[in-house]
Amino acid sequence: MAAVTTTGQKRSIGQIIKRLLLLDLIEGLFLTFKYNVRALYEPRDGGNPNQAIYTEQYPLERPRVSERFRGAPRLNLDPENGSTLCIACDLCALACPVDCIEVGSIRREVRDGEKVNKKKVLTTFIFDTSRCMFCNLCSEACPTDCLELTQSFELAVYHRSGFRWDREMLEKGINYVRYTK
Amino acid sequence: MPEILALLIAPDWVRSLTGERPPNVFWAEYIVWPLIQIVIVLFVVLTVVAYLVYFERKISAFIQARLGPMRVGPWGILQPAADGLKLLLKEDIIPIKADKLVFSIAPIISVVSTLVVLAVIPWGAAWATIANVNIGLLFVLAVSSVSVLGLVLAGWSSNSKYSLLGALRSSAQMVSYEVGMGLSIIGALIFARTLSLSGIVEAQRADGLPYFLFQPLGFLIYLISALGETNRAPFDLPEAESELVAGYHTEYSGFRWALFFMAEYTAMLVTSAVAVTVFLGGWYFPGLDWIKSNWGPNIYVLLSVAAFAGKIAVLIYAYMWFRWTWPRYRYDQLMELGWKWLIPAGLANVVLTGVWYVLALPEAQGGVFGFVKQTAGRYVPTGYGKIYFILTGFIITIPLSWALLATINRRSRDFNLHDQRQLQIKLRSERIKRNEPVAE
Ligand code: SF4
Ligand code: SF4
Repeated sequence: MAAVTTTGQKRSIGQIIKRLLLLDLIEGLFLTFKYNVRALYEPRDGGNPNQAIYTEQYPLERPRVSERFRGAPRLNLDPENGSTLCIACDLCALACPVDCIEVGSIRREVRDGEKVNKKKVLTTFIFDTSRCMFCNLCSEACPTDCLELTQSFELAVYHRSGFRWDREMLEKGINYVRYTK
Repeated sequence: MPEILALLIAPDWVRSLTGERPPNVFWAEYIVWPLIQIVIVLFVVLTVVAYLVYFERKISAFIQARLGPMRVGPWGILQPAADGLKLLLKEDIIPIKADKLVFSIAPIISVVSTLVVLAVIPWGAAWATIANVNIGLLFVLAVSSVSVLGLVLAGWSSNSKYSLLGALRSSAQMVSYEVGMGLSIIGALIFARTLSLSGIVEAQRADGLPYFLFQPLGFLIYLISALGETNRAPFDLPEAESELVAGYHTEYSGFRWALFFMAEYTAMLVTSAVAVTVFLGGWYFPGLDWIKSNWGPNIYVLLSVAAFAGKIAVLIYAYMWFRWTWPRYRYDQLMELGWKWLIPAGLANVVLTGVWYVLALPEAQGGVFGFVKQTAGRYVPTGYGKIYFILTGFIITIPLSWALLATINRRSRDFNLHDQRQLQIKLRSERIKRNEPVAE
């Protein structure tokens, strides 16, 4: 059985002086005082851990998300003529592990100059954000860089049906209420 | 009656209001002017108390890298108003099994006993003090200790284990720290030779130095016991939220709860005000006499009030600073600090200060050094006397008291639950080895 040693026996003379002058308590006071003073003069930069104040006032200040953050989905449009880039190939729906994409298409005759081609054309696109886990597999499968997960993270809605994003929402983005106060 | 007239403080316009001529100034001096002062002081103090909550939240936020209240008004400056409104509009809940009468009286006792003390605090020079009672300090200590009754009644009448335990703790703690607080002041009274709070300020003005220089140990003990007395961290055991939910006010809500909160912050203000008055020179600061003769009496009074407020603000900031820096004491450590350190240290301080003072008296009065001269009916330390009192305070009184107490408390200082358990285990194993019966 080990001998019972008290903390008093283990203390060196330096520790005794430190205890006598309450140095540990005073050290703590200096630290908190430093934080307090820094909070008063440092320019605020919400969400920066090196700054004296870490708080970001969310509805007023947009949080900075990481560059590789994957958020709300978007269907990209062709920047030249504004038509969709999607060729309705269904690869994204096949790639999705949780089956949250439904691509609706019809075969239609499309005039391209002189020729008339029979082609698959996108009609509806349903994306269920409630089941999506933002793994990006769909976006990687897409051959035309049409489907993309953006940096937007505000996906909350008032009703469950709101999680089913249709083609219009995916192309234009949804309308958020932006709080400015 | 020149002596009585010298004590009268109401400005001339109050006297012209009541149409009285000196010496018959009963209405002006004792009714009208005090009422005006009371209304002003209550208004200012209650506003300040509301803003103390705001500042506490801000300071805690800054210390913890947060922003604190920001939404109501610019930088959350209207937060106290919003809080007050919320508390007023909240449902007033009295638990079914509570003692209804006592339950509703308890917060009132708490808040009234702290507010009454405001009457004798010397907020400033001349007419800025409501009542200059000649037992002012005694009055403050006596009345403010009644507030513990409010806490005990609250805990008892709530019929809840958390409230009861919180009240038990708070009564034991406040009664213990009250003693240390009373003892710490006596040293300063030896120098001031009066219990009137305005008199103590005048004494420091005449002596030329605030008494915390003569009484460093007394000041230290006062600050620590004031923390314990007002239930502030690191001595906030009565409302230790991690153990007791909210302590004695667990069952309170709405405005009754707000009264307890008000009482706590007013008590903080009062203890800081007493500390400022007794140890930091009250409303006086060097150069105030020059201001009085050059800038007129009104600016002089206003500046004295500002100086008093500034000194209080420093102390209150320190209170908040301590609260958000230091962890809470364990209950046995708290009692040990109160009974084994603060009270004996207070006694030692009284004895040692008395010895230094008697030694400093002139030889005709039985002293040795003659560092204290009798001028204008008071004993005032001379230049050497000041240095002598400062040196004895810092260099002899503090180390001597510490060495004395450390020797006395040597065995109990390292009380440590882990060691105690280890000791029990060791004793038990020895008994088993000797084949003695062991209690299960
Ligand atoms: S991100 Fe992943 S889970 Fe979401 S739709 Fe694309 S493949 Fe499916
Ligand atoms: S993979 Fe791309 S192109 Fe193909 S259906 Fe999906 S979004 Fe359209």
